[in-house]
Amino acid sequence: MEHAVLHTEKLCKTFTNGGVQQHVIKNLDLEIQEGAFTVIMGSSGSGKSTLLYALSGMDKPTLGKVFFGDEDISGYTNDQLAVFRRRHCGFVFQSIYLLDNMTVFDNVMTGALAAQKNSPALVRKAEDLLKKVGIGEEAWKKWPNQLSGGECQRVGIVRAVINDPQILFADEPTGSLNSASSRDVLDIFTELHSKGQSIVMVTHDVKTALRGDRVIFLSDGAVIGEHIMPPYGTDDLKSRRDGLQAFLDQMGW
Amino acid sequence: MSGINKILRLSTANIKKHKLESAALALLVMLCMLLLGSSLGAGIAIRSIFPQVVAHTQSYQNFILFLEKTYDPELQQILDRKEHVEESVTAQILGTMSGNYLDRQGKEQALYMFFMTKDENDKIQTTTIDSTLSEAEIAAVEHPIVMPYTMHDSLGYREGDSFDVVIGTKHFPFTVTGFYDTLIFDQVSSGVKMLVSEEDYHLLSAVVPPYVCLAYNDSYGAGGDDLLSDYINEAKEWSDQDIMSGIFAMDYGSIKLGIEMPGESVMAVMIAMSVIVILAVAVMIRFRIAGDIRDQIVNIGVLEALGYTSGQITGAYVLEYLLLAAVGVIVGLGGSFALTPIIFHAGELVSEHRGQVGIAVLPILLAAAAILAFVSLIAFLRARAVKDYPPVRAFRRGQGDHRRTKSRLPLRDTKGHVHLRLALKGFLENWRQSVGLTVCILVSAAAVVFSSVLFSFFAGNKNAIAATAGMEMSDLRVTLMPYVDAEAFAEEVAALPEVRKATPTCSELYFGVAGTGDTVLPNIFTSFDVTENIFPATGRFPEHDNEIMISVMGARHFHLGVGDTITIEYMKVEKPYLITGIVTSSTNGGANIYLTEEGAKRLIPTYRPNTVEIYLEDGADLPAFRSEFTARYGRSLSDAAKEQAAGGTLEDRIRAEAEQQIAEMLANYGTTHVEYAIQIGDQVITGDSSAFQIASIMNFNDILRTQLAGMAASISMIATLFMVLAAIVVMVIILVLMEATIRRQRKELGVMKSMGYTSRELMLQLAMRIMPAAVVAVTVGTVIGVSATRLLTAYVGRVPVRMPLVLVLDAAFLAFCFVCGYLGARKIKKISVYELMTE
Repeated sequence: MEHAVLHTEKLCKTFTNGGVQQHVIKNLDLEIQEGAFTVIMGSSGSGKSTLLYALSGMDKPTLGKVFFGDEDISGYTNDQLAVFRRRHCGFVFQSIYLLDNMTVFDNVMTGALAAQKNSPALVRKAEDLLKKVGIGEEAWKKWPNQLSGGECQRVGIVRAVINDPQILFADEPTGSLNSASSRDVLDIFTELHSKGQSIVMVTHDVKTALRGDRVIFLSDGAVIGEHIMPPYGTDDLKSRRDGLQAFLDQMGW
Repeated sequence: MSGINKILRLSTANIKKHKLESAALALLVMLCMLLLGSSLGAGIAIRSIFPQVVAHTQSYQNFILFLEKTYDPELQQILDRKEHVEESVTAQILGTMSGNYLDRQGKEQALYMFFMTKDENDKIQTTTIDSTLSEAEIAAVEHPIVMPYTMHDSLGYREGDSFDVVIGTKHFPFTVTGFYDTLIFDQVSSGVKMLVSEEDYHLLSAVVPPYVCLAYNDSYGAGGDDLLSDYINEAKEWSDQDIMSGIFAMDYGSIKLGIEMPGESVMAVMIAMSVIVILAVAVMIRFRIAGDIRDQIVNIGVLEALGYTSGQITGAYVLEYLLLAAVGVIVGLGGSFALTPIIFHAGELVSEHRGQVGIAVLPILLAAAAILAFVSLIAFLRARAVKDYPPVRAFRRGQGDHRRTKSRLPLRDTKGHVHLRLALKGFLENWRQSVGLTVCILVSAAAVVFSSVLFSFFAGNKNAIAATAGMEMSDLRVTLMPYVDAEAFAEEVAALPEVRKATPTCSELYFGVAGTGDTVLPNIFTSFDVTENIFPATGRFPEHDNEIMISVMGARHFHLGVGDTITIEYMKVEKPYLITGIVTSSTNGGANIYLTEEGAKRLIPTYRPNTVEIYLEDGADLPAFRSEFTARYGRSLSDAAKEQAAGGTLEDRIRAEAEQQIAEMLANYGTTHVEYAIQIGDQVITGDSSAFQIASIMNFNDILRTQLAGMAASISMIATLFMVLAAIVVMVIILVLMEATIRRQRKELGVMKSMGYTSRELMLQLAMRIMPAAVVAVTVGTVIGVSATRLLTAYVGRVPVRMPLVLVLDAAFLAFCFVCGYLGARKIKKISVYELMTE
């Protein structure tokens, strides 16, 4: 059995709104394997994003525990969680969230310098990664609003992986992109995974989910099904899509 | 009407949305109103103190005090013959600058004291005595004394209190029987005129020099200083006496200034403080509106799309701040009316006179209107930027406005601390916002440094005062009887174990500057190598008999410098002197000159020193030494007379008789030394005249402490007020700035949190972001504060600025800014990354 980089025990997340409690995640036990590309799917309001943020230390669980390796991070303070995130996690968001007041290169370096000191090697690494995702040198000094959405998301991915995170979290990373840009972005995820990067991605898009090797389906805050696929590119795409679709149909998607 | 309703609705909604900032703004406006209103209200009342004193006392308005021995009745005739002199009168008065009184702890305190009988005082003013004692109680008092009100208000004396006057070794115990108002010698800092009985006046006249007070009224009112100066010149020309020695001359204008200036200074300081606050209000309004427009730009577009005009939206902003200012002004108005009597009382204390407070409503209301108008104008000037955002442009978040400048401080070049780099980037991004902050901190820092430098100079450092005094600040200045050889006396005193040094010099000698009518006080030494507190700001000490130094103030007044010649006169003899140096000099109104004994002999061929400056060894007990020293050398004619009458043993009576005769010989026959041996049977009683050598003893440190106590207290209060006010203003501005920054950059801060930046690191970044502005502001503020101090004290010369203190103050100010920034940024903790991401 592969080593679980992340697992939860009886994870609960409850929101209180206007005095009304809403149990978004209910007693969830889940393991995320090292090197796996885990896709979390579910209908709107099923708790996908809530689970992602609870797993990544962006948010604290109401009850239950989240373990990173053997370390229980559910009792961490906010600042301890921040340190945890910069050491072990990378994030790609649907809204991308590049810093408007910084250039492309500075956006990447802001992420890098959160975890490590500046060095020529780090700068070189940022340059290499940007080139690798197709962001040429001419764009490095540009401001985010001078780039296309796809370009921005590629910069967002570089910013997320610059510190070699043990897990890369992605929340609907192609949600705001056109299909061509989506494909480019997903190719990057696939390549990262092929090199051993653990990825946890939330999506409601089947094409995106196909890139994963494990799809878990959430409904009312609980995992109601799981679908395992071979690594992307090692099987026939049609049968892969059919298999996933069948699973989703079974889940009531 | 509906348009106004819309504007009102928008304004109130905005106020509700930013409650904390709104409250802070209203608070600052309130503070400004409070300071401005109460200072204007009290200021007008304080200005009425002097006219009230004049009306109340019906006093003569100009005064000249001549030493009785130099006065001639013809001097009054000369005055009466002058054009514009309406009436004059003379009265007898005693005065001493070397007297002391015993404070409540029984310690001697220096005080310039003048004594008159009520009848004599009635000649120059109407004497209205306030007393809580009955006539019978007053009649039962053996030695009654009536004091100016300042002794009640500043020193806390009450009817029935003992007041012991100490002149030399003699104590004159009095009982306070009442208080009265007077136009002259009415301040602890410059001397007090007290009323005593005929008997006590007679007793005091044995040890306190008698003067003739020539009082007169002229038709000039406050502009009669030239008349007074002309008269003194004329009197000097006419008289064959040295009338300038010991003269006191006070014209109506200078008396008025002396009473009004302290109160007006307090008012000026308060108005300056209110300017700092209103400046902070302006800055706050500007960056709050700017931030609001930036945050609300889409909503502004929506409102415009719905039919609101940019004028209405601008009006809403103006109204918002007008409403807030109105709240602050109304509360501040109430506070002003309550605070005015307190400020007025402070004005009474510093002017050392009583008045009647009357609240001047109109200036306070005008101040309120001015504040409201100012706030509206500032709000309008900033909010009219709304017109630059028509709906479509507003929807696009003002696109087209985004600057496309070069990225500053790229992170690839980061060396060391990333947080510092990010903070500096943030500072450069928002430098416009920092301008306002810089101005506020700059003004606050300048005010704090200015007041602190003055405070440390006047209140905190005796050496600093000594360094600028421009005269020797020995432990004891002993003026000798005319028959005493000062040089021999100095030699004898210098041999005492407690004495470090004894230097012969002169005192109670006045020279004139030829052709000007100005009087100057000579500081004469054999050589200036022996002085310790006289420092030439430029040039060098005089070495030859034709050389002289003058004060910085004198140099400015006479438009002379090193290398120029000044002609000094004494008793119609005029001699030119070459100016070799300019001296920092804060005493005697800067009317000090410095020359060698040989130089003095050019004017007075018979010149001999009459005074000895005594410097004690470190750690010597000054009061004990003074007491022993006075007992040994400081007996007077009246001491001897009193002892003769006191009785005692046969030997005591014989000794007293002998000393009485010695005293008479010394005083009246030019005798310089007497020794006696009286035989009665087998007993021989011997003695000499060595105990009758001192005319007066002064301790300049005590005098300065008394004179500067009020000033030090005022400056201390002002410095404290400035610091508190500056702290409040800077704190409010930084807190509001932080809140606005966090609100504006909520998304960016959330993203950075998601990347792993902790709340503390982000708080640190935001706090560091204001530090470049703070450092620049504090640096410039310090330069301005120090320069302002130097400018204002330039008349004295080189006032030492304690730079280590200033630097510590600056560091504390910067630390305060940082702490405010750091704590103000704590709202970052409330930013939830999750909520931000799922918005």
